[in-house]
Amino acid sequence: MEKKNKEDLFRFVEYSPEAAERVGYSDYSYWKSVFQNFLKKKSAVVMAFIFFGLVIFSFIALAIGKYDYATLVHQQDAALAFTSPNSEFWFGTDNLGRDYWCQVWYAAQTSIKLALIVALGECVVGVTIGCIWGYVRQLDRFLTELYNIINNVPMIIYMTLIALLLGHSFFIMAVALIAFGWLTMARNVRNLVLMYRDREYNLASRCLGTPIWRVLVKNILPYLISIIILRLALSIPSTIALESTLSYLGLGLGIDEPSLGILLRNARNYFLDYPYLLVFPAVIVSLITITFYLVGNAFSDAADPRNHV
Amino acid sequence: MFKYTIKRLLQSLVTVLIVGTIVFLLMRMLPTDYFFTEDQLMKLTEEQKNEQLLAAGLLDPIPEQLLHFYGQIVRFDFGKSRRIQSGVDVIKVIGSKFTVSMRLGVISLVISLITGVILGIIQTLNKDRLLDHVGTAYTIFVNAVPSLVSYSLVLVFGSRVLGLPSMYSTRNPSQSSILPIVCLALASIASYALWTRRYMVDELNKDYIRLARVKGLSSREIMTRHVFKNAFVPLVQYIPASFLYTIGGSLLVERFFSVPGMGPLLTDSIQRYDTNVVQTLTIIYAALGILGVFLGDVLMMIVDPRIKLTGKEGTR
Repeated sequence: MEKKNKEDLFRFVEYSPEAAERVGYSDYSYWKSVFQNFLKKKSAVVMAFIFFGLVIFSFIALAIGKYDYATLVHQQDAALAFTSPNSEFWFGTDNLGRDYWCQVWYAAQTSIKLALIVALGECVVGVTIGCIWGYVRQLDRFLTELYNIINNVPMIIYMTLIALLLGHSFFIMAVALIAFGWLTMARNVRNLVLMYRDREYNLASRCLGTPIWRVLVKNILPYLISIIILRLALSIPSTIALESTLSYLGLGLGIDEPSLGILLRNARNYFLDYPYLLVFPAVIVSLITITFYLVGNAFSDAADPRNHV
Repeated sequence: MFKYTIKRLLQSLVTVLIVGTIVFLLMRMLPTDYFFTEDQLMKLTEEQKNEQLLAAGLLDPIPEQLLHFYGQIVRFDFGKSRRIQSGVDVIKVIGSKFTVSMRLGVISLVISLITGVILGIIQTLNKDRLLDHVGTAYTIFVNAVPSLVSYSLVLVFGSRVLGLPSMYSTRNPSQSSILPIVCLALASIASYALWTRRYMVDELNKDYIRLARVKGLSSREIMTRHVFKNAFVPLVQYIPASFLYTIGGSLLVERFFSVPGMGPLLTDSIQRYDTNVVQTLTIIYAALGILGVFLGDVLMMIVDPRIKLTGKEGTR
């Protein structure tokens, strides 16, 4: 009995060239498991739907609205000022009698557009500089000092000077925000690169003559994806917040480009008496930022390879 | 330790100087037209403008102005304000605003520290239950929603429902500063709660807590004598920084409620080309920031004697 079992367990197989070529292979693909993990979180998926729904709807809303933003400027009618929401003006009118619906949605679009551009710009600049900062030892001192100096001057000084010297526009705003926003991303990336750059496998790669960019992109960058996504996710709400703050202070976008900050600045003196002037933009923008924040957090968790099976 | 402190203070001095120089140079990039009011710009002739600029020393070559500026710093004489309050010492201009900002900042910091830490403890005790989720929702709300929006909500709620004044007024400072204080505290309560909860949960998962449980200590004792004490150490590090930061005044809150504090002063003085005020303010802000980090490290070392700064290679 025992003997038979043993014979069953260990049998010689015939030589087969195919089997000899086969390597250990699992069906693992990084991005596939990222999405699988992400889809497991039902709440995050719902949030993602709400976010994209809102973004798409902001375009539809402008199209179906009864007023066009471009013609709005000429449409001031004091008699219509502070009309409460009705079938003609879905979100009511502001203090100059202009339709609030198209202003709110236009502002939401501006905020999203700016936030996406800034987040992507920050990401590209931050990751590039962060990789160099972490990898090239000779530059570490210089970049650290640069970081400290830029970081120690209150950002509001730069923004005020930029507003005074260059004026207000979407482009200037985006560039300025990227120019000061990459710092955090670069710092995070640098710290991680420092951690991974001298691991044994990277040493081996270097000894084998792998070019530096390949070590960075193939060996180190995959570890950073999760943290990069997290920063991206946090940077979009914070860019929207920063934009609204700066525009409110008169340092951000111009009056003719309504954004959340401009809307609230115009409404500041009125929304105590006409709360709808606050409620509509506040609810829409909060929905956008909160959903994106949660989706980003969930996605970053899903992107962490340590959470993969 | 002493040597380390000296070294670090010297480094900080250099940083402050560099920051001051950068701001000095940045300010000189502005066209001098900002030096005049619109009225003056219309009426004054070129010569009169030049005369005024010359009298203010703004037409000297930049290196000379810079040297003059360094001389001022060394003598702790920050010059006089020209546009914000013409002819008054910068220190006095800032000082009067500083007290207003400081009062709001200190009160809001005390409130947020106490409520934040208590909220964090409550969340830890009720981990993964309703109260925890409520606290987390609050943190997410504060972090994700633009502060302008949350301030507006506080304003509408405070003034419509509770009948509090919607603007700061010097006649009734105690009542009218309630809403600004709430707004200032909003964000820091969330961050204190978040970090308290995180550090406490981390601590709870450690082996020595399990040992304490096995020994038969009550949950209460474990919480107060082990978990909280250890979780508080990393938290302590941020207190001085946030304290100094709030003293500096929050630009948005002060503008939003028209508080005559330090926050709006910076942008105002830049827009009016009041170079002395700008330079002094930046030096104060930079020094406060650096001092905050340093005090945080020292405080952490006092609270937890295991931590030694001298061994750590600081990046600053």
